[in-house]
Amino acid sequence: MEAIRNAFDFSDFPRLDMTVAGAALVFLLAFPALPHSSFAMATMIQFLMFSLYGMGWNTIGGYAGQVDLGKAQYVGIGAYTTAVMMVRWDVPFWVSMPVGMALAVGWSFIIGYPLFKLKGHYFAIATIATSLVLKDLFEVWDFVGGAKGLELPLRGNFPDFLYLQFREDYYYFYILLAMFLAGLLFINGFRHSRLGYQLRAIKDNEDVARSLGINVHWCKIKAYAVATAYVAMVGSFHACYNFNIEPEDTMSLDLSVLIAMMAMLGGAGSLWGPIIGASILVPMRSYLGSWLGGQAGLAGLDLVIYGAIIMLIAAVQPRGVWGMVEAVRGRRRGV
Amino acid sequence: MALLEVREVSKDFGGLRANDRISFQVGADEVVGLIGPNGAGKTTLFNCVAGYYPVSGGQVFFDGQDITPLKDFQVCRLGLARTFQIFQASGDLSVAENVMVGAFVRTGSRRKARAKAEEWLEFLGIADAGGLMLSELPVARQKRVALATALASDPKLLLLDEVAAGLNAAEVDGLVKLLTRIHREKGLALLLTEHVMEMVMALSHRVVVLESGRKIAEGEPAQVVKDPEVIRAYLGDHLVSGENGHA
Amino acid sequence: MEALFLAMFKALVAGLLMGLVFALVALGLTIIFGVMDVVNFAHGEFLMVGMYATLLTAPLLGVDPVLTLPFSALVGAGLGVLCYHGLIRHLLRGPTIAQLFGTFGLMLFLRNLALMIMGSEPMIVHQGILVGKSFVVGPGIVLGATKLAAAALSLGAFWGAWWLIDRTKTGKALTATSLDKEAAMYMGISTERVNALAWALGGASVAVAGGLLVNFWPVDPNVGLLFTMIAFATVALGGFGSIKGALVAGVLIGMIVQAPPVWDAMLRLVGSDAAEGFTIHSLKYTFVYLIYFLIMVVRPQGLFGWKQ
Repeated sequence: MEAIRNAFDFSDFPRLDMTVAGAALVFLLAFPALPHSSFAMATMIQFLMFSLYGMGWNTIGGYAGQVDLGKAQYVGIGAYTTAVMMVRWDVPFWVSMPVGMALAVGWSFIIGYPLFKLKGHYFAIATIATSLVLKDLFEVWDFVGGAKGLELPLRGNFPDFLYLQFREDYYYFYILLAMFLAGLLFINGFRHSRLGYQLRAIKDNEDVARSLGINVHWCKIKAYAVATAYVAMVGSFHACYNFNIEPEDTMSLDLSVLIAMMAMLGGAGSLWGPIIGASILVPMRSYLGSWLGGQAGLAGLDLVIYGAIIMLIAAVQPRGVWGMVEAVRGRRRGV
Repeated sequence: MALLEVREVSKDFGGLRANDRISFQVGADEVVGLIGPNGAGKTTLFNCVAGYYPVSGGQVFFDGQDITPLKDFQVCRLGLARTFQIFQASGDLSVAENVMVGAFVRTGSRRKARAKAEEWLEFLGIADAGGLMLSELPVARQKRVALATALASDPKLLLLDEVAAGLNAAEVDGLVKLLTRIHREKGLALLLTEHVMEMVMALSHRVVVLESGRKIAEGEPAQVVKDPEVIRAYLGDHLVSGENGHA
Repeated sequence: MEALFLAMFKALVAGLLMGLVFALVALGLTIIFGVMDVVNFAHGEFLMVGMYATLLTAPLLGVDPVLTLPFSALVGAGLGVLCYHGLIRHLLRGPTIAQLFGTFGLMLFLRNLALMIMGSEPMIVHQGILVGKSFVVGPGIVLGATKLAAAALSLGAFWGAWWLIDRTKTGKALTATSLDKEAAMYMGISTERVNALAWALGGASVAVAGGLLVNFWPVDPNVGLLFTMIAFATVALGGFGSIKGALVAGVLIGMIVQAPPVWDAMLRLVGSDAAEGFTIHSLKYTFVYLIYFLIMVVRPQGLFGWKQ
């Protein structure tokens, strides 16, 4: 009961924040009805996906302060579970998604146990290493299609809510929006939960945290599992939305970093951070990419600018956009 | 039956013996001071008792249970809380939230944790600081936050590591009164290491004196300070035996 | 059985040669880490810059690629100092996460700048005294002159860097800072200058490694990540901050990367029909990632590490 109340408790944010959030929600709900290009719709879907990725990452990377750069392996597990189950056994999305999440979380416990013996840089590099190992294995594993990946069969009867196959993007949009809202409420409850507080104590000082009865190793593993569940869920969705997955686009290091970047840019360890980050980075990436990437001789310029922005943020305001908002307000509130 | 019994505890760091077969007890309604010159092994012993270090030899019993093999977080759950010399919580948590983390040892409910935190902040006279960040407070109040956090975990015994360090005379005085109240009104046993002798003398029912990792004396404060071995340990050999040199 | 022995011998020789280059690649990373506890994600991109530097200047100056190495070193050192003053210095004030992302941004920046300027086509040195020459050492064992020279020169460069650090006054300042930053400061050593020096040295050594590598390893803008990971694994295995460790671990990693043909030969020997057409060869770098992970979990101080 209290968990549900916590999920809906936004009372630590000033009214201004909630007004902006409410306006944003109205905009999101109405977006498909507004005039828009299909490119804008695709960007919007990307925004929701990366918001969810970032929210998940934020539990371990933001609240617990453990820089995880290997989230893509769990995107891959989610995406491949859905794809394999649909291709081979005709299993609908709503069954394969929870299975994928369970498999990913199970794998995260196995990996997490040794992983969280490491700290700081060592931890970050190790997360990359584990993710790359899994990607390499998938690339040579025939059962999942190797490096070529898998293509999902078109079932032909649109709209198909069971298998998530639609002609029009707004179906995907609303389903994802529902996931987004559920994810947001869950995180809001999470940051109010005992684990949420304990993780922030761990980030502050692990010795003090342990002296307060907190099993630091286990708490980190639990947060890692929550983060994993989020990205695996979106991974499953990604498989249905793209109809086509391969190790390179679901498990690459670039994706791992992008996920972390959303939260980092917006403000790691804050509720709105990942959403703010995604709302800046995703449109920038897709529009910069389409404007500049297409022109001869300018391939790469979008990512050059992107890299420069990342360097700038890291050097000037490591707490991200939300850190700037807090600096202006002169208060650190509403984490 | 003593609340805490330290039995023949030793701790080695490499070849260095920091604690050598130390034994003492703390009763359920006692305040015990652990004193000794710098490097006597007080903090090491503290860390062994609290499960922060594994001991090299000996046993620690708490509330009738052998806690020697337990980790620090397990020890805390049994009701043995501690403070750190340097209490640094720089990041994300406000004062009240810090104290709530302590309260979360006993409850999973945010509402109850908040109520408990507010109760302790009130008791320690820092209720007005609940919404601030720790770094915004002066040192004396930061120490009270550390106390409140440890107390919110509902301990039976509280280990205080140099809580008076860095405080001025008036602040030490306030702290002594506060700790007395905590002991009397809340019925907590206290074990404290301290450099500030007035504080140990004023609070402790019993004092354990360490030197070079060994226990050299134990008894009531007034007796212990007269013990020649304690005086020698604190002031050094040359002062006691060679007074004529300074006359 | 003979095939197995041959495969083993080949792997040992090839691993030793490759490993010496890996050691030089990892040297820069370990120096920088030792001095200032910063992990540079763009390390592989420094290597890429060194590769392009040799590739481009050799025809431009009309000299043999081997002779452009000093120039590569200079480019690498310049890049290192530039990055230190332009970026790293500012990242040090922030949390670990800022350092990781800052150097990651640098990696994206350099990689895609290279893509803009050079395009995505892989390139390799085609002309030079070493290219195309080889020695037949034994039955079925052929050593490419480029690899042999790269290994020898890597060892030379490694020795040079070691001499600089261990025998010169500047190098001693570097060592002192990595042992105890504050004590070094009290002795009048400027941390800023030592840091910049570490980046110059780190950049130079990895750029030279790049110049050697490009004689037999094609360069493209994405070549960096693999070498960054190899360098991480090497440094982890050798012990973060240990120069001797980088050398030993580099050779070990080289042999591990070259070892898969041995496993394949073994599989064939026992007549395993495990997956038609599947060879362990395609997983050779997976072992590198695994090694990093296992070493960090089992023995975080590595073989010769003193920092933890």
